[in-house]
Amino acid sequence: MKKTLTTLAAAAALMVGGVAQAEVLRMAYSSAPRSVDPYPFGGATTAGYKEHIYEALVGHDDQPLLSTGWTWNSPTSLTVHLREGVKFHNGEPFTARDVVYSACRMMFKIDDKRNLLTSSMGPLTDVVAEGDHAVRFETKNPYPLWVQKMKFLSILSASGGDVPDGPIKYDATGDCGITAYPTRDDFENGDAAVGTGPFKHVSFAKEFAVMERNDDYWGEASKWEGVEISSVSNSGARFAGLLAGDYDLIENPTNEDITALDSNDDFDFSGKPAWRTMFVVLDVNAEGAPGVTAADGSAPLANAKVRKAMSLAINREAITDRLFGGNATPANQYAPSYRAGAPEMPALEYDTEKAKALLAEAGYPDGFTMQFNAPSDRYPNGTRVAQALAQYWSRIGITVELNTQPWSVFAKARRAREMGAFFYGWGHPQGPAQMISFAFASRDKDLGLGSSNYSNYSNEAFDAAIKAWAVETDAAKADEYVGDAMRAAMADMPGIPVYYTHSLWAHRADLTVDGRQDERTSAFMVSYK
Amino acid sequence: MLSFVLRRLGQSGVLVLIMSILVFVGMYVVSDPVAVLASDDFTEEDRIALARELGVDRPLMVQYFSFLSNVVRGDFGTSFVYNKPVLSLIVERLPATLEVAFLAIAIGLCIGVPLGIYSGLNRKRKSTKTISFLTTVGYSIPNFWQALLLILVFAVWLKVLPASGRGDTTLLFGIEFSFLNLDGLQHMLLPAINLAIYKICMQTRLARSGTQEVMFQDYMTFARAKGIPRPRLIRRHLLRNILIPIVTITGLELGGLIAFSTVTETVFSWPGIGKLLLDSIHHADRPVVVAYLILIVMMFVVINFVVDVLYALLDPRIRYT
Repeated sequence: MKKTLTTLAAAAALMVGGVAQAEVLRMAYSSAPRSVDPYPFGGATTAGYKEHIYEALVGHDDQPLLSTGWTWNSPTSLTVHLREGVKFHNGEPFTARDVVYSACRMMFKIDDKRNLLTSSMGPLTDVVAEGDHAVRFETKNPYPLWVQKMKFLSILSASGGDVPDGPIKYDATGDCGITAYPTRDDFENGDAAVGTGPFKHVSFAKEFAVMERNDDYWGEASKWEGVEISSVSNSGARFAGLLAGDYDLIENPTNEDITALDSNDDFDFSGKPAWRTMFVVLDVNAEGAPGVTAADGSAPLANAKVRKAMSLAINREAITDRLFGGNATPANQYAPSYRAGAPEMPALEYDTEKAKALLAEAGYPDGFTMQFNAPSDRYPNGTRVAQALAQYWSRIGITVELNTQPWSVFAKARRAREMGAFFYGWGHPQGPAQMISFAFASRDKDLGLGSSNYSNYSNEAFDAAIKAWAVETDAAKADEYVGDAMRAAMADMPGIPVYYTHSLWAHRADLTVDGRQDERTSAFMVSYK
Repeated sequence: MLSFVLRRLGQSGVLVLIMSILVFVGMYVVSDPVAVLASDDFTEEDRIALARELGVDRPLMVQYFSFLSNVVRGDFGTSFVYNKPVLSLIVERLPATLEVAFLAIAIGLCIGVPLGIYSGLNRKRKSTKTISFLTTVGYSIPNFWQALLLILVFAVWLKVLPASGRGDTTLLFGIEFSFLNLDGLQHMLLPAINLAIYKICMQTRLARSGTQEVMFQDYMTFARAKGIPRPRLIRRHLLRNILIPIVTITGLELGGLIAFSTVTETVFSWPGIGKLLLDSIHHADRPVVVAYLILIVMMFVVINFVVDVLYALLDPRIRYT
């Protein structure tokens, strides 16, 4: 029905000669949002869809959204002051009780399966309503990262029929004395899809989502009367759908698509540097790395000189210019250099001769053999970049066996630590230390550090800095620690940063897109020229 | 006939069992659902807990037998990715696939068989050579490329048909169908044509070679000598005799269309089961892949059985004992 209305509206707009503009924005995502329920799934696609409907205390830009600010009572206790005058889609006012309810719902296991976003709750031990407009979060260990992580806790209305009246007491199982939580069906038919966001749920079925404007939105209401999100995973079909007029905007056009748009006045593209670092993970284990062999039986990747030589061998500008047409940024550190809080670092050098000399100095004048793994279906241009990297390294004498495989196979091998060198991309929605604290820190269960240390890297100076960062609630000091950690790791190169990705959108020429850095696509960033 | 049916059922049971083992072990060896589902900010403890909740931390044999005992009770398990019962995921997408598959088969038969008979009867004509050339081309075009070409021509240049998606649906017996309204039908057309082109070519060739063979049989010469008018000759004597291979192939092709129109469904973003299969393989969603393939094996068994019965109806010489 909604679709028919849209078609009629579009037809009407055409009939009056394009004077009236279609007020429903039709977007095509490159993969499908997985649920209306905000908690079970993460990922940019699902997050991009659901933030039309739900909001969190902190926005995507790390700024207060449903809050007005926060104060640290101690390193393990944070009080967040809630925005007043906000109403849910069902007309109920937004209060501290809704925050506690949402935290309970996040922790609750549906059919004994945890919500995949639960991991972002970290070491939270208690969520307490302090009056109607303040909430106190308590953690087991100091957890300054919670400020960033709050953006994953979408706020639901606690006003459903199965929530007992009175205050809600948080507990880590999510039981919280609540008789029954809404089911998946309740979310899909819209009964439970009640947030505070600028759009309201209309329907969500098999990869097609429809939303309408929330006219009572607390902030500035959207110019769009409605939003339709389709999911078209095939890039050729997505682009054709745009050209055919089925969509107003599509995600992730390919380089070829963008070149094709040069000669087309009806469509345009927009890009924005994104918070994702593409880098090479190297297993620096002194015992040797899987798939890496040297003639003398030693472990070449354990030698920092070898790793630096490999970095020197890469012409990053050529990769971003030739393979991405400029729609990627050469990396100079592990966090995107434009991520707030990332330290100033010099550009990384490209010098093949120096690289060869360094490799000889490290004891490998004739190079060594290395299997290099990359997922074939995960990153735009991923396979081509992996081929380019393999060629750069073979120029300095390293024999590279390139092995590309589907993501599901690659992910298994990575988790099983079967790869000595691989290509990977890491997003940074939680700040500049997100990747290094997981990928290069020694394992620390309490602080949640080093869980993805596939480099088997350990460096005292780095660990000291990252541990100091992990418990520092003062933002300026935390940034200093990030800088220390970043410099320590870059001096050692347990991984080789290559480039930062850009998010790209192709769209009708009469639209402007003010893109975002967190890889999400939303109606908020699109407007008429 | 009864013993034939029983033997068939026994064979099918073994087939389904072998299939389930192959797919189950294959998916287990190749991919790790925890690695695919867990995001980068999962700690190792989170990953271990997730593996426990999904039940994938147990030994392969234990996982397989618990899966098998659930299947016997009619429970195909829960999708790792959607956290929904697998059967309901497949069933809710099945109508979309079925309607396109049937439309494609219908187009294939309605165009292919007449063209084939015409070519068989008029072997020397120029038009027959053109048909023969076109079927060769239609046979050899890669499916995905042909799909993009169709989109380019009909959606981008001519702007007469939508490029992708399912469009409006109409409820019939509580199931959503696209073919009952104009918008839905328009959305169906391109995917159906994309699937039908290959079918048209195949049916044309089958009907042509059948016609050529049958026309020179003694009984045809006799029928002609008897003075039976040509339309009746074609309808009663020719068509009936060339139908057997056509029925067999159509049956198998229908199965193939329902089970494996993955490419077409992906390119046209048609929310059918083929797309579900592909997405599930990508996401290492083992319960969906295993259940899907088991159901498909069962479907082929049924289709083959129906085809065998149809043989007996079409050709009185065939008897099953």
